Amino acid sequence: MSGHHISTDRTLLGVAGGLLILTILTVAVHYVYIPEPWSIMVAMGIAIFKATLVAAFFMNLYWDDQFNTLLFIASLAFFALLVGFTLLDTLFRPEIMPAF
Amino acid sequence: MDKAESSSNLKKIQVQRFKPDDNPDQHYLNEETGLWSWLTTVDHKKIGIMYLASITFFFFIGGLMALLVRAELWTPAKTFIEANTYNQVFTLHGAIMIFLFLVPSVPAALGNFILPLQLGAKDVAFPRLNLLSYYLYLAGAGIAVFSILNGGIDTGWTFYTPYSSSTGGAVTSMTFGVFVIGFSSILTGVNFITTIHKMRAPGLTWDKLPLFCWGLYATSIIQILATPVLAITLALVAMERILGIGIFDPALGGDPVLYQHFFWFYSHPAVYIMIVPGFGVVSEIITTFSKKHIFGYWAIALSSLAIAFIGFLVWGHHMFVSGQASLASMVFSFLTFLVGIPTGIKMFNWTATLYKGSIKLASPLLYIFGFFFLFLVGGLTGIVLGSIALDVHLHDTYYVVAHFHFVMVGGMVMAFLAGVHYWWPKITGRMYNETMAKISCAIIFVGFNVTFLPQFVMGSQGMPRRYFNYIEQFQAFHQVSTIGSFILGLGFVMVFYYLVKSIFYGEKAKANPWGSRALEWQISTLPPLHNFHHTPVIVNGPYDYHKPMEEFQLGLAGSGNGHGHDEELEVTQEGEELNAE
Amino acid sequence: MQHHFVDAEQQFDAAKMGMWIFLVTEILFFGGLFAAYIVYRLWHPELFTMASEQLDTLWGGVNTLVLIGSSLTVAMAIKSAQLNQKKNIAINLGITLALAAVFMVIKYFEWTHKFHLGIFPGEFYTFGGIDHPQANIFFSLYYLMTGLHGIHVIIGIGLIAWLLWRSTKGHFNSEYYTPIEITGLYWHLVDIIWIFLFPLFYLID
Repeated sequence: MSGHHISTDRTLLGVAGGLLILTILTVAVHYVYIPEPWSIMVAMGIAIFKATLVAAFFMNLYWDDQFNTLLFIASLAFFALLVGFTLLDTLFRPEIMPAF
Repeated sequence: MDKAESSSNLKKIQVQRFKPDDNPDQHYLNEETGLWSWLTTVDHKKIGIMYLASITFFFFIGGLMALLVRAELWTPAKTFIEANTYNQVFTLHGAIMIFLFLVPSVPAALGNFILPLQLGAKDVAFPRLNLLSYYLYLAGAGIAVFSILNGGIDTGWTFYTPYSSSTGGAVTSMTFGVFVIGFSSILTGVNFITTIHKMRAPGLTWDKLPLFCWGLYATSIIQILATPVLAITLALVAMERILGIGIFDPALGGDPVLYQHFFWFYSHPAVYIMIVPGFGVVSEIITTFSKKHIFGYWAIALSSLAIAFIGFLVWGHHMFVSGQASLASMVFSFLTFLVGIPTGIKMFNWTATLYKGSIKLASPLLYIFGFFFLFLVGGLTGIVLGSIALDVHLHDTYYVVAHFHFVMVGGMVMAFLAGVHYWWPKITGRMYNETMAKISCAIIFVGFNVTFLPQFVMGSQGMPRRYFNYIEQFQAFHQVSTIGSFILGLGFVMVFYYLVKSIFYGEKAKANPWGSRALEWQISTLPPLHNFHHTPVIVNGPYDYHKPMEEFQLGLAGSGNGHGHDEELEVTQEGEELNAE
Repeated sequence: MQHHFVDAEQQFDAAKMGMWIFLVTEILFFGGLFAAYIVYRLWHPELFTMASEQLDTLWGGVNTLVLIGSSLTVAMAIKSAQLNQKKNIAINLGITLALAAVFMVIKYFEWTHKFHLGIFPGEFYTFGGIDHPQANIFFSLYYLMTGLHGIHVIIGIGLIAWLLWRSTKGHFNSEYYTPIEITGLYWHLVDIIWIFLFPLFYLID
């Protein structure tokens, strides 16, 4: 079929190699002390980067119809809304009143 | 109609007019016959009809529950039902009406039938998934019925924890039933979005997409984003019951308000799933029966998307008194005021469309007028409930019950009935008795108001919802409301009667009895099995009433039985300017 | 090609779009659990730090690499199809299947090891080794999330096995490989979800 991007072995193996390195990195970073909240941000940052590699180059979003990328981003945006607005409640609960 | 060729994606094609047949010999109902052909069909039209029959059935079951509730409330304390039974009856009324009727109603029943026709497509993108979607609906409904008969549920349709996660009864299987129905809803959403993107006829650019399709598109977006969260929430309740997980039950270290966040993240957008397709129907009917171009096409189209988006940001307005942090409450209240704006824009635009139109007061339009008044009241009272200070008094009272019945029944059911009446000739090839339709519409309108207006009053005076018992001062209100409910029920029964009667004895309909310009009316009365014998070519918008009817019946010249192997056919997403010869 | 499509291109693009929309629903489905995780971790950060030590970083890491490998091989399977290398389609699908099975085997051992210690979900939790009244919540989330993920892996195994069977029958070639393409997309999402589960459960300081 014309118009379908065919990835080269080099690309696919390169991406896999990158993912391997990033996995090792994320484990290594775990053993280095990083103060909160940065430690979770570093871990999530690496995970997001790995996920982006998979989405862009294994799932072919880089070469695909842009609407599919929009769908993917939209799902993440609405997930963020779910979490964000819920946290507006759960992080701001008042201290429990002492019983009287 | 010559247009200049100025860019490289223009292509000259030959078109001719294909006049629809008023009385075709072969059509979708007689080309494939027999029970097996229905059960295994992948024809979106047959699937739409099966959905229509099923949701009608469940509407009457849910309606029966409603009449039982109202009859029981004739007197304070027990009238003829025990309190525990009463709890089950109102739970069922809510769950059946919402999950088995309202959510699928317009999209699955009318949308399935009409969407491909309006797009000029032969079917939806995934016809087999469509059939699967219907069977999932039936399976989920079956599981729900099983749950009712095997332990029942009395949690309210909202399944709030910790009661739902710890009480007896058939909560686990019921939540599984809803889970399965959710999948049906998701698959419909997947199908519609893909169909609208990929299956439009040549020339059907986004600015010519009918507003009914825009409504279905916005609804499908909500369906795919919101329903999965309901699914996981109900699965968690089931896990809580089976494994004692402790995520929602405070006795196990969990948080019940967290359940409410997850539940309403779906259930608020769900109300937009229920109403936005109805808005689409309103746009179609208003333009057809005023023979005028819609006022503010893009405003209405984009407002559906705006409602879909903003609708995800307001769920906490169901939780003002739940113990949620006041910061969250304030944010949700503010956003709730915003969500009314796009709907308001629609109401103004529809009114402006009617102005100086050539109005034909046929029954579909009468139902739309009913919609106008009732939905307006419902929507405005929603804004009232969105103010935190007022909601503190009105939460869990009959004011809320009246509000949502005004929007769901007065709004959505009226729009649904309008759509059923409007498209009835296309679906069945028959006209119904117009006089009976007008009378029934009036009876429904009167019955509805008698039922629910008193509920606003008693709600504001403090009558709580879901209560089996009540104090003397509310009895008159309850009794008026009960009388109204039976009038309303009579109206619905009448509609069912004359519509079914018309299938056998109704006058045979012409291809385009309403004189609409929309594409579904430009094919024969009963559509052919594959919808179009030719490949339709779109040159005008669906509301261009100033253009002659011939221009809406164009198709590719020589596109025989339209099986798409024609060399001249070019399907592009952007559509093109065409030279018609 | 199905009759309601104009050409194979339209059918392929529609199938891909449909799968992406379905993946959106999967992201929101798992999203609910991730949201619960975030809420509880912010409420009880110390619990999460303590409880995470019960999870074996090594095997979690190995499983991560196993899934990444399987994503690579399924992408290779698609490439083989695009280049009409019919034998390689089956080989790559076979390796993918094997890696997926390895993942489940490791998962099985992880879980049974925990059961052995009395770490069960919800009210069946009997492990005394974590000094926190809500220790069961961490593990409930662990079992729920890795369990739901595991169910998706098993479904993926079923789909890939079916694809493997079809590929041995010669159903796929450079003109038609849509089922591999869309199953591949599903499988990559399963990989992505694990990419997040791994640090969130196994790598808490």
